Formats: sequence, structure tokens, C-alpha cells
Amino acid sequence: MSVTLKVRDLSKTYGHGEQAVRAVRNASFSTEPGEFVAVVGPSGSGKTTLLAMVGGLLTPTSGTIEVNGRDIAGLNAGQQAAYRRESVGYVFQANNLLPFLTARENLQMISRITGANGRAARQRADQLLEELGLTNRANAVATELSGGERQRVAIGRALMNDPELVLVDEPTASLDSARGRQVVESLIQEVKSRGKLGLMVTHDMAMAELADRIIEMHDGELNVRGKLAASG
Amino acid sequence: MIGLLEIRRRKFQFALIALIVTLISYLVLMINGLGVGLNDQAGSALRNFDADAIAYSDKAGLSVIRSELSQEQVDRITVETDAKASAPLGYMAANYLKDNGGVESAAFLAFDPGTIAEPKVVDGRMLTEEDADGLLVDKSFLRYSGLDVGDTVTISVRLVERDFRIVGETDEGAFFFQPSVYLLRSTWQELKYGNVDASTPVASIVLLEGKGLAGASGPGWQAVSKSTAFANIEGVSGQQSTVQALRAFGYLIGGLVIGVFFYVLTLQKIGQIGMMKAVGASSFFVFRQVMVQVLCISVAGVAVAIPLTWLTNRAIQQAPNPVPIAFTNGTFITTSVLLVLMAMVGAMFSGRQVAKVDPIIALGQQQ
Ligand SMILES: Nc1ncnc2c1ncn2[C@@H]1O[C@H](COP(=O)(O)OP(=O)(O)OP(=O)(O)O)[C@@H](O)[C@H]1O
Ligand SMILES: [Mg+2]
Repeated sequence: MSVTLKVRDLSKTYGHGEQAVRAVRNASFSTEPGEFVAVVGPSGSGKTTLLAMVGGLLTPTSGTIEVNGRDIAGLNAGQQAAYRRESVGYVFQANNLLPFLTARENLQMISRITGANGRAARQRADQLLEELGLTNRANAVATELSGGERQRVAIGRALMNDPELVLVDEPTASLDSARGRQVVESLIQEVKSRGKLGLMVTHDMAMAELADRIIEMHDGELNVRGKLAASG
Repeated sequence: MIGLLEIRRRKFQFALIALIVTLISYLVLMINGLGVGLNDQAGSALRNFDADAIAYSDKAGLSVIRSELSQEQVDRITVETDAKASAPLGYMAANYLKDNGGVESAAFLAFDPGTIAEPKVVDGRMLTEEDADGLLVDKSFLRYSGLDVGDTVTISVRLVERDFRIVGETDEGAFFFQPSVYLLRSTWQELKYGNVDASTPVASIVLLEGKGLAGASGPGWQAVSKSTAFANIEGVSGQQSTVQALRAFGYLIGGLVIGVFFYVLTLQKIGQIGMMKAVGASSFFVFRQVMVQVLCISVAGVAVAIPLTWLTNRAIQQAPNPVPIAFTNGTFITTSVLLVLMAMVGAMFSGRQVAKVDPIIALGQQQ
């Protein structure tokens, strides 16, 4: 699977008139197949807004978002939900998991939502947990997991529906840097080994440098640059 | 189902809600039981007759107390209705004297042996034409009075006291909120009217068996169905509307309380709901989990309330002076089904809340 994402002239304005906030302004970029991209920038620069539009959680004010050639900018709410269900895997900053479910059940939640819960889904969940080093925590209830374990379960959850895009917003905000690095490394490994496209918002330059490319945002505007790791 | 898994993992919280459901169901079931019990007290003896319709004097306004029929009218009713069977019945309220000098009232019903007005005897024997001083009494009468079949009891009516022997026990219930007592119609005539002559009323009402008799009337009489007759017993309609109102409030409050509980639970889970919707769950998928929980919790709550009610009923029936309460399988079933339905209706509040959650909140949540 090779996934391409083409964003053209993408804008989002919150509110009207005096109160209007232009959170993303005429953003354009495209990705190579199997790329893992980091989005960095100061607080309020529009990173989450960009991610939400690409992930079908927010309707753009203007512009196009092509995922494998299909424009998702004009989807209605029901179509957006279907798009998220079928094509997107999300890892959020926090509260990724249902606290009363076990690690495995949190992965299976996805197959329940898509209506494909069965033996195959369970096997897939167990395999993902194994790849993420969580086999021995599969039956632990989410509240019994550590912060790092929880985020790794969330990565597994994001891959359950075999999505085209894996979108991640501040996955390490609640973790110390060593654990955060582990989580991001396994995330990149899982995404790239499957030829998916990864988009990760982060504050943390050390994490961003693990990505193939970095998109910098400033007051809603994009500045795409190559990998920093080479120079550092 | 994720909803069921949540119940399993959060047993304590859900058990508490189920307990509330149990208490409300118990209350509603008891109110229903009181309704049925009061209804029985009002006139199960009338309802238990093998009659389809009841004929009154047309001047009585469907009141058994005020209805008086002459021999000629009784004969005419029998002929004009062409009923399959008919039987005159006399009614009289009278007191009996207790050993300690006190008095208790009872509803005296007068019949002719061998007619459809004859009650079923469960202990002792049936009255015969020779038993001018014999009585059949309801088992509740025996319990209140402490008497037994074979005992003698003094009846006081119209400044006269007369001794009767209890020859049999019946289980027909009450009439006008008093235990029913049966005696021969000839004896009733003497007790109620003193000197009997040709102009003395011979009955209060006539029981009629046959189809299409309700609504029939003739000179001096009118007939209505047994259920209309029952509804016209003095006090029945007022009492039943009170019970109906209590019952309606019970269902309403039950639905409301369950609705509010699940609404609060839903509010607490807005973040989780946002996350589920962000990963593609529809509002319907999330709401289905809530509905399954409401169904489970309300069914469990009602299921516990039923045996509780049953036990309470048994304890009440053991009491020397029991509260009028009675249960039928029908009331248990309809009450339970209605309570569960009301819980589902109450849960609709949560449905609106679930639909309103914007999945984008999943991106904004801090730890
Ligand atoms: N729902 C909203 N209504 C109005 N303005 C909003 C809304 N959401 C975001 N904004 C504004 O849009 C701008 C971009 O917000 P966004 O959340 O995308 O920034 P961010 O780069 O993710 O910031 P952070 O690093 O703090 O998470 C900010 O100025 C913010 O105040
Ligand atoms: Mg953000």
C-alpha cells in the first residue's frame, strides 16, 4: 500500500467578522508514499486545525485535501465519520482508551464499530499488541496501564482498521522524554513498515527529528523543510 | 457489546442504579397491588357471580344499596330479558356483635340455593331451604371475627338481634369494602323489611346470564353489564382514579429518575464519547450501548422488585388486619413491561446528548 496526500490552498477560519481567526492559511503540501511527517510550531499556530481537517474531523473553509486522489474536503458529517472509520487511525494526546476495557478490548472496539468483530479481529489485535510489546498487558484494564503503555495501546488501536493515514496529536505530552521517544519510535516503525502515511503534531523537536520531514507552522502558514537529523 | 462490558467492569455503580430502579419498581408494584386490592374490597363478591349482566330498579341509579325490586318486576325481568339464567339477589348492610361487645359490619347477600346467585362453599356446607338461621361467610369474615364454621354469631339489624349459625365458608371476597356474608333470601326479607306481605321488595337486583343483555330495560328496570355494575359501586370510580394517578406518577418518576441517572453518566463520559465518534463510531452506535445498559439495568431492577413485592404481600396477608392488597400475574407483567419501557423513554435524554457531542473534542483533551 502506498498512500499519497495532496493538500492544496487549504484554509480554515474560525468565527466571523471581528472575531474571525484564520487558523490555517493557504496551506499546500504533498507527501511521498510511506512518509512520516512531523508538524511543529508554536502554540496556536494551527497544527491541530490542520490535522483535524486532514483527518475528517473539521471541514475546511476552502482548499482541497486529496487522499489517494479522493478529495475529502467536501464530505458531510456522515461521510466524514465513514472516512475516519475506514481510512484514518488516530492517536490523541490523552483519553485514547475506554478506561473500563482491557488493552485488547480497546483494540477490538474498532472492529466493533466497523462491524467486523470476530476471530480475525482478535488475532489482529493480539498481533498488534505483540508488535508493540504489550502481549503480557493484553488483559489489563486501561486504568491499570502506565502512560506509555496506554499510548502504545492507542497506536495499536489506530492501526486496527488498517487505515491509509495515521494522525497523531502530541502523543508524548504526558510522557517523560525516554518513554516518549520509545512510543514515537514504535509509532514510526509501525506506520512505515505498513507503507502508511504518518502525520504527527508535536512540540518536541527531539521527537520531530525522528520523522522523514518536518512541516513548520507559524500563524497558520506552512514552511516545509527536509529532515533536520542530518544537520544535528 | 461495549455497554455490557462496562456494566461488568463497573458493577458497583450500575448495581446502585439498579437498586434505585428496584425501589421505584417496588413502589409502583405495591401501588398497583393496592389498586387491585381496593378493587377487590369494593366488590369482588359481585364480580365473582356467574352473571353477565345485572338488572336494577330503574329508580336506583345503578346503586345496589338503593335498588329494590318487587316480585312482579323480578318475574318481568326474567321474561323480558329472555336470559339463559337469572336469580334475584338481596343486599343489606348489617352489624354482627363481637364477644367483647363491639360491632363489626358485613355485607349481607341474600340468594336462593340452586340459582346462579349461589356462592361456592370452600368449607362446611351449602345452605338449604331449611337453613333459615344459617349463614355462609367469607373467609375474611372468619379472620376478622375470630369465629369458625359451626359457631354462632349475633346479627344486629333494625333494632332486632338474631342468632345465626355459620354453616359454611366461602371465598368470594368483599362487597362495599366489607366481608361478604350469605343468607337465604327469605330470611333477608324478614330481617330487612320486618313484616313481609305482597308489597315487600323481594330482591335488590337480579343477576342475569346470557349474551347481549347489557343495556336492556323495561318498565321499572334496567340492566347493565357486570363491569358497568362494578364501576358503579359507590366509591369505586373515585378510588380507582386515585390509584391510576398514583400509578401514572410512579411510571413517570421511574422513567425520569432512570433517565436522569443515565444522562449524568453520559455527561461524565463526553470525552469517551468524543473519542469513539472521532475514530468513526456513529451516534447511533454509542447510543445503542446506552440503551443496552438501560435495558439491562431496568430489567434487573424490576426482576429484583417482583420477588420483594411478592414477599411483602405474603407478610401483609399474614397480618391480623391486612391492608387490602392483591396481585395478579397480569399486573406483575404489565407493570414490569411499562417500567422497562419508561426507562427506555427516560434514556432518550441521553440520546440527544450523545448526538450533540462533537468528535473534534478528542483532539483537545489533556490528560
Ligand atoms: N473552535 C475554535 N474556535 C475559534 N478559534 C479556534 C478554535 N480552535 C482553535 N482556534 C484558534 O485557532 C488557532 C489555531 O489553533 P490550533 O489548536 O490549531 O493550534 P495548535 O497549533 O494546535 O496549538 P497548540 O500547540 O497549543 O495545541 C488558535 O489561535 C486558536 O485559538
Ligand atoms: Mg494543538
